[in-house]
Amino acid sequence: MKRREFIKKATLTSAGAMIAPYILPSGRLFAPTGTQIAPHVVLVMYAGGLRNQETVDQLYLSQSQYTWNPTPSLNVTGNIMPNMLSGAAPTSKVVYGVGTSGNTPISPILSTPIQSQGVLFKEVNAIAAGHYGGSIALLQGNTNLAQPLLERPKTPTIFEFLRKHGGYKATDTWFIGNTLTNSVPLYNHSGHKDYGAKYGANMFIPGVTFGNQGDQFLKDAKIYHPQNELSPMYKMKYFLDNSYENLTSNNVLDTVGNTEAEKQQIKNFMRTMFQKKQAGTVIRPPQGGNDASTVGYALEVMKEFKPAVTVIKIDGPDVCHSNFTSYLRAIHAADHAIGYMWNYIQTQIPDMANETIFIATPDCGRNLNPNPILDRENNFRAFDHSDANTRRVFTLMAGKSITNEPDKATGPLSSTSPLNTDAAITVGHILGIEQEMLSSGFLHSQSQSLIRKL
Amino acid sequence: MKNAYKYLVFLSICAVSYQCKKDKLEDTIFELNEVKLYPSASAKLKEKTESQWIAVVYTNLFQQALSAGDIYRAGQCITSIGDKELAREVIISNFMNSTSPLPVIPSDADMRGNIDKFISDTYERFLIRRPTEGEKQYFRNEITNNPTRSAEIIYFSFALSNEYLFY
Repeated sequence: MKRREFIKKATLTSAGAMIAPYILPSGRLFAPTGTQIAPHVVLVMYAGGLRNQETVDQLYLSQSQYTWNPTPSLNVTGNIMPNMLSGAAPTSKVVYGVGTSGNTPISPILSTPIQSQGVLFKEVNAIAAGHYGGSIALLQGNTNLAQPLLERPKTPTIFEFLRKHGGYKATDTWFIGNTLTNSVPLYNHSGHKDYGAKYGANMFIPGVTFGNQGDQFLKDAKIYHPQNELSPMYKMKYFLDNSYENLTSNNVLDTVGNTEAEKQQIKNFMRTMFQKKQAGTVIRPPQGGNDASTVGYALEVMKEFKPAVTVIKIDGPDVCHSNFTSYLRAIHAADHAIGYMWNYIQTQIPDMANETIFIATPDCGRNLNPNPILDRENNFRAFDHSDANTRRVFTLMAGKSITNEPDKATGPLSSTSPLNTDAAITVGHILGIEQEMLSSGFLHSQSQSLIRKL
Repeated sequence: MKNAYKYLVFLSICAVSYQCKKDKLEDTIFELNEVKLYPSASAKLKEKTESQWIAVVYTNLFQQALSAGDIYRAGQCITSIGDKELAREVIISNFMNSTSPLPVIPSDADMRGNIDKFISDTYERFLIRRPTEGEKQYFRNEITNNPTRSAEIIYFSFALSNEYLFY
């Protein structure tokens, strides 16, 4: 009997010793089944609702203002996104730039627009008409009809898929948001019981973390010695947590599971950011407001952590609800920020240069018909987002292994059009977990990696 | 008539004895509610909101209240960071570095002068309960066996503990 027990224990111990080295940080036993197409992806949630008319259709004022006010000077077409799209700029009634009345377009940063480097999916079906639903749909690869605002996404996000099925660590996945409003701070993980916080992404809302609030409550954090002070502090904390473990083991705590080393790296990064902010040296595109600042901090994160996936939320163009002139300027400024970002990655972050795939897609489109609000500057009509035109968006993709091809999905929207939620499975495909995501049962039934549509 | 007189006398005695009832010191002077200690950690089931946590940790560390506006702004800092535990850690570190006001932490000499009292006081201050014998022994060993273990670091671990997130 004793011999039998000994053999049993010895076998289990040997098996454990053999398997243990293959257990990934996420607790997953095996590496993902797919191969990586590129080690880094940057997904930009390009703005809060963009009409295809002003972006990929390059119709400028002709179908936004001239249709409703047939003054010949408003019948102007042209491209106001020179870094992202190929096409000539408007030649008259220029109000989308900077300077007096916005009459000076910002000089393009990229000599070759991203469209000419990669692929544009011109007519993509946005499956949600609101900002929160639309944005988290990009992350979940699906939409949930019962999804309320101010509540975590109901099904797993791309961050959780990557961490649970791909074994990516917490600092491999980042979400950089532009505001605390519109449920944006809830994007970094779902509330799903099998995924949730422990597989979530790291996140900053830089305007707050490194803004006035951060100056008051985060900037002057005491620097403790990692071994002599922090290590015993964590040890005592873990002891205290043990007595409470039965109440917190069901994933109720909103903590994304950075290791102590990762936490130290993030704290050092935060300290550096406050120092750079004081010195005025935080990376920032030369022009633009909050969106530019958000993109700048995202570049700082990329430079430090070289994440597998970085998701950036910008939404300056959402001003279109009440000010069309500002909407045009915000689109143009966001294009400038994206051009700056793509150039910076290729020239200033050696680990990511030529190793990154860029994807940009809006959360939703905007209405065909204007609302009654006129802006003061040009008497331009404003647009909300709720009708069929709101479903029309685009997806732009470029980078490693993506060669330039003619535009895809150029016809009118149909049941076979790509979905903007394809962004999630495309990211998963690039990073090697396509099959795991497809077999999870959480994606839209028509979800397909855009790379498979090339 | 005689019964009515007796009844009035009885009522007067009741009224006088009610007025003479001694108020508790904390009720009359500080207008504070009496806080009952939890019998054990498992009695806490509700998670504190970010604002509640901020308000309580500030009061525990500084023995004074944080303004409503500051509680709101500190809460925004936690909301803006993905790893909430890391956010709380940085905020506690920030509080520990404060020069005005200074955090109210026993000196290491006081802590080592009466280790058992320090442990009990710390459990009551942060976790609103008394330590178990096992917990007392653990911290007794920590403090006794590690000459550099400071009260500040022990306070830090309590403020960052999971139990401290619940009430």
